[in-house]
Amino acid sequence: MSAPGTTKPTEAITRAKAGDAEAWGELYREYAPAIFRFCRRALPTREDAEDATTEIFMKVRDKLVQYDQSRSFSAWLYKVAANHCWDTLRRRKIRQDKETEDVDSMPLEHPDANQLERLIEQRTSEEVRKALDKLGGRARMALVMRCYSDMSYDEIADALGVRRAFVGVVLLRARHELRQALERTSALARPGGLAAGGAS
Amino acid sequence: MNHLDEMTCLLYLEGQLDRARAQDVSAHTQDCTACRTLMRALERESRLLTRVMLEEEEPLPARLAQFQERAKRSLQWIWGVALGLAATGAYALYTGYIEPWQQQMEQAGFGGTSLLGLLVFQGALWKGWQSMITLLEVIALLTLAGLCAAFFGRRIRIRRSSAVALVLLGLCAILALPQAVSASEFRKGHSVEVREGETIKGDIFLMGDRVRVDGTVDGDVFIFGHDASVTGHVTGDIIAFAHTLRIGGQVDGNIRSAVNTLTVTGSVRKNALTFADYANLDPAGKIGGSITAFVESLNVDGKLGRDLLIFSKHVGISGAVGGGIQAKGGTLSIGATGEVDGPVRFEGEIAPEVSPGAKLASPMEYKKWEHKRSYRDGSYYVWQVIWSAAYILFGLVLFALMPKFSDEAVKSAEQYGAAAGLGVLVGFGLPIAAVIACFTVVGLFIGVSAFFLWYGALYFGQVIVGALVGQWMMGRTSELWPLIGRMALGFVVLRLCTMIPHVGFWVKYGAAFWGIGAISLAVYRRLQPVIAPGMPSPPPLPPNTTVGGVQPA
Repeated sequence: MSAPGTTKPTEAITRAKAGDAEAWGELYREYAPAIFRFCRRALPTREDAEDATTEIFMKVRDKLVQYDQSRSFSAWLYKVAANHCWDTLRRRKIRQDKETEDVDSMPLEHPDANQLERLIEQRTSEEVRKALDKLGGRARMALVMRCYSDMSYDEIADALGVRRAFVGVVLLRARHELRQALERTSALARPGGLAAGGAS
Repeated sequence: MNHLDEMTCLLYLEGQLDRARAQDVSAHTQDCTACRTLMRALERESRLLTRVMLEEEEPLPARLAQFQERAKRSLQWIWGVALGLAATGAYALYTGYIEPWQQQMEQAGFGGTSLLGLLVFQGALWKGWQSMITLLEVIALLTLAGLCAAFFGRRIRIRRSSAVALVLLGLCAILALPQAVSASEFRKGHSVEVREGETIKGDIFLMGDRVRVDGTVDGDVFIFGHDASVTGHVTGDIIAFAHTLRIGGQVDGNIRSAVNTLTVTGSVRKNALTFADYANLDPAGKIGGSITAFVESLNVDGKLGRDLLIFSKHVGISGAVGGGIQAKGGTLSIGATGEVDGPVRFEGEIAPEVSPGAKLASPMEYKKWEHKRSYRDGSYYVWQVIWSAAYILFGLVLFALMPKFSDEAVKSAEQYGAAAGLGVLVGFGLPIAAVIACFTVVGLFIGVSAFFLWYGALYFGQVIVGALVGQWMMGRTSELWPLIGRMALGFVVLRLCTMIPHVGFWVKYGAAFWGIGAISLAVYRRLQPVIAPGMPSPPPLPPNTTVGGVQPA
């Protein structure tokens, strides 16, 4: 897994920190497409993603002096983006997952791997993206942070405000939600599908 | 062999298990085909998710191609100026054109040849109309500001929600403005009265079986009783809910009443609005303004200063009417002593009877009620087009201002039974509740506001159903502009259906009530605590099932 925009333009960052508008432009051109796509995956509409991208870069510009250059710039950028998107979703009270952080409530199924493989094989990217759009805010946010920007469990826990031990549960439940959404649109859908658990 | 659970497999793949646990899992998958297959499927799922997310299916929008923070900042003051200019323009339009026109019409004796004129300009229904007009002006200005924010917000990063918030904030500010405080007195009992010689400063509420006002009230009189009589002097308005109301004294303001019988033998300086079975203006009685009446029978034998607007079964005029008459109903007869200084228009089943001795300023205009629509008249279709355009514009504004709510309302309309049932309940219940609320002074504003909301929802409901019809034809969407397109198409179809003879009426009101139900359902859902669809509860834990994967890496 590799997050987009992982090169580290150290020189441009240093110059941008010093107030060089040209350098800031370079950074923006380099990272804006990736951040826009991140927002597009995390937020409900294209317009939201456009607004969020601009707002994130405004925040980044203000906070750039705080950035520790010994760390990955893209990771820092994605952290800012994730916090911003999650704040946006929470502010709008978009469907919040209400699960408790009870470790005992973790799903313990052993789903039918063949059925899962079939589901994966039969789906186009467009269908998966549409299914992603149907997920709850936290589920989608978690998947985007993990699969798009390759954020660690610690970073995801920090951004979502959950315990680290709970991140796995959030991610697995997100996958289950996604499979349910895919199954709903599937001609092969059958009751008690993958997300409901399989053989143990 | 006990299989690994999915959680453990996922954490193993993500490198989140501690070394010992990871070794166990690794060893297990060497021997267990099922777990190895699951592991491989999960890995493929991860790869699919990453690939799907990383795909660049749409390019960076043009407006994001350059960082526009500077442009935004420089536009902020332009935005303020634009809003200020818009507000000034709207105010100038009102004070420069509408207000002078209104004043001129009033000076020229415009007494309400239309119901709207009577109700709004003469304040016949409620003395707070003027405040409502001011409030409506403010709402209009704020809506204008909100619209500007919604349409230009994309460019300058002001969200639609902020625009709506701006409108609501302004509304709240208006509502929060301190109202003028006046002293009010309450009297309640079997028989209540303001005795002759007694003077009340301020408003008075009189509740009783028998109510009499023989003294002077320097304010408004609110009467709730069976038999009410006013022989004294009231400087304000009389608002009465009674079986019988007799006005024998002097009233400087208006009369607004819902009664069985209203008799005016005294003098009323302004207007009278009444919902009654019988209303009589006696030969000795005088009303300086106009009469708006929804009655079974009305007799005007006294003197009426201005116009008469009436919806009645029987109307008899033997007195003098200073303005015109506009009447709809069963019969109209003007006696030999009758005198009307303005135009007389009557719509009804039976031609009016006018005595040869009656003095009319202009010939009577009579229109027999026709129950057919003029389908052969070209203007009918022109008006249909204009109305459709107006509805679509109305829908466009609401969809643009409240995209999420509109989408939710359209989705709610798909629940046919619930939406239709709730539509009938709210469609009939809300106006009744609004009228009941108006009976109390505190609830007056709430009642009137609720009525306005209901009235607006009648229209918005049709737009919502139009959007649903559009979705039936072109497929579902949650995106704003495609939804608006479907709404426009669907509404045109709906409008065409409303033009079908005999059926159109039912289609129109069916759609309106269905839409009201959908809106109510969407509102109801917003008020409910949101709970995500829960995961299916895991089956009971079998013995020796692996529980793992929560250990930090």
